[in-house]
Amino acid sequence: MQWMTLFRKEMIENWRNKKWIWVPIVFILLASMDPVSNYYLPQIIESVGGLPEGTVIELPDFAPSEVVMMSLGQLSSLGVLVVTLMSMATIAGERKSGVLELILVKPVAYRNYITAKWTVLIILVWVSLLLGMLGSWYYINILYGELSIQSMLLVVLFYGLWLTLVVSVSIFFNTLFKTPGIVAFLSIATIIFMSVVTQIFSHILEWSPNNLTLYIMEMLQTESIPSELIWTAIVTIIISIGLLIAAIITLRTKELAN
Amino acid sequence: MTLLTVSKLSKSYDGKNVVNDVSFEFQSGKCIALIGPNGAGKTTILRTLAGLLKPSAGMIRFSGISESDDIRKYIGYLPQYPVFHTWMTGMEFMVYSGRLSYLSEAESKKRAETLLEKVGIIDAKNRRIGKYSGGMKQRLGIAQAIIHKPKLLILDEPVSSLDPFGRREVLTLMKELKEEMTILFSTHILSDAEEISDDLLLLNKGEIVEKGSIIDLRKKYQTSIIMLEFTEDVEKYQGKVNTLTSVRNSFIERDVLHVSVSDFSEAKQEILAIAVKENWPLTSFTLNRASLEDMFMKVVTN
Repeated sequence: MQWMTLFRKEMIENWRNKKWIWVPIVFILLASMDPVSNYYLPQIIESVGGLPEGTVIELPDFAPSEVVMMSLGQLSSLGVLVVTLMSMATIAGERKSGVLELILVKPVAYRNYITAKWTVLIILVWVSLLLGMLGSWYYINILYGELSIQSMLLVVLFYGLWLTLVVSVSIFFNTLFKTPGIVAFLSIATIIFMSVVTQIFSHILEWSPNNLTLYIMEMLQTESIPSELIWTAIVTIIISIGLLIAAIITLRTKELAN
Repeated sequence: MTLLTVSKLSKSYDGKNVVNDVSFEFQSGKCIALIGPNGAGKTTILRTLAGLLKPSAGMIRFSGISESDDIRKYIGYLPQYPVFHTWMTGMEFMVYSGRLSYLSEAESKKRAETLLEKVGIIDAKNRRIGKYSGGMKQRLGIAQAIIHKPKLLILDEPVSSLDPFGRREVLTLMKELKEEMTILFSTHILSDAEEISDDLLLLNKGEIVEKGSIIDLRKKYQTSIIMLEFTEDVEKYQGKVNTLTSVRNSFIERDVLHVSVSDFSEAKQEILAIAVKENWPLTSFTLNRASLEDMFMKVVTN
């Protein structure tokens, strides 16, 4: 099957260029950094020194759900950056180098080409996210108190949708431009723009994908899934699929030799 | 049987016509050379035929293939500078190409082996393409273009980036492939076209300025020049030749006497007769066939 051929090629490529190694490591580092560093902050400050004798450092005791949000905070900034950087050349790079000229003169269905790339990136991102949040969960349980694995998996499930959207945005810009730098820039700009719009029109855009983390926090605090979270998740999925379809159409109508 | 008909094909970028109202057709089983100076629009035409560019106007029609069918199944294409996934091995890329063209895994592997053998890079099949030389890449490029047994093989400047050895090998390979499929290739090296193609399309500034079979075109542009070489005293014989009735004029270049004649066969007889009679120290007698180079210059500069 043609789709499997493309899928397998992407998997092997990401293995050989070590994405399967560094992306999970980066996610684990990003997600575990805050739980660990916040816990040891008093000791860190002390060992750095320079404070007068007898200084008492008092930090609030973080609840496990707050620490989860710190991990997500890291992923929302640096994690999103990593996702866009690693996906910026997936199609654009192939167009720029000219490989695409050899591939797309073969009877390759454009939807197979796009969806295979998308699927491989999604698997990579989800696996990395899962490993990262498991790292965070491990430290939370040791250092802050109990957090059930179920709630952590729900966090991964809903937050994964946000990263899915990021990948879809990147794939879409990949079909529009052939300079990876521009693809990365526009992807990040789009996400920032979305967040600004969501904040300005917060009363209308209740289900904007940018609100996912907000509702995830609510979920952790109330220990139940708010209906807004479900609706936002659905909206996120719909936008992602829409972007994929737009990417397929763009690639189909585009002159690939330019 | 006509394989491909191109009618009134135009392609413009930003309002500038790169290909202008080009029409041609060709029979299956032929080898057609698209010749033209740099910037004549050769690559644009080939890319349009391969489906990488969309025509601004005009039609491309493959015979025996329905409109709804994907023409890419029947085309093999090698760009001027083929770029591969350098992290793949030659064999992997071949199987990848085969699988994308709807061959089975086993069939792809079998074809890949056969073709890599044929193009002479079977020894390097498990090496990363990143480590291939230019000539090897070109040969891999041809092999991947024909893995699905296309009806039409399109090659963009297949030999111009190769050294003389690589060039010879690729030309020999093309001669073999000619037996199995229709080949359309572009070149600006005229002797290559002369050597392997049946038909020529001469392109200049985006327009077809001349087309036809090599034999017909040669006849059409034949110039009537006889070249004579002597062991001694060329000037002396120049004087004698000039007295012949069929000779228009003559000149000497590098000790070779070039005789321009009005009637080719008459002049041939006259010169040979007098040469035998007077026992001229003649070492070479050449009837000049117009080279494609001459024809090309003539057509392009007109």
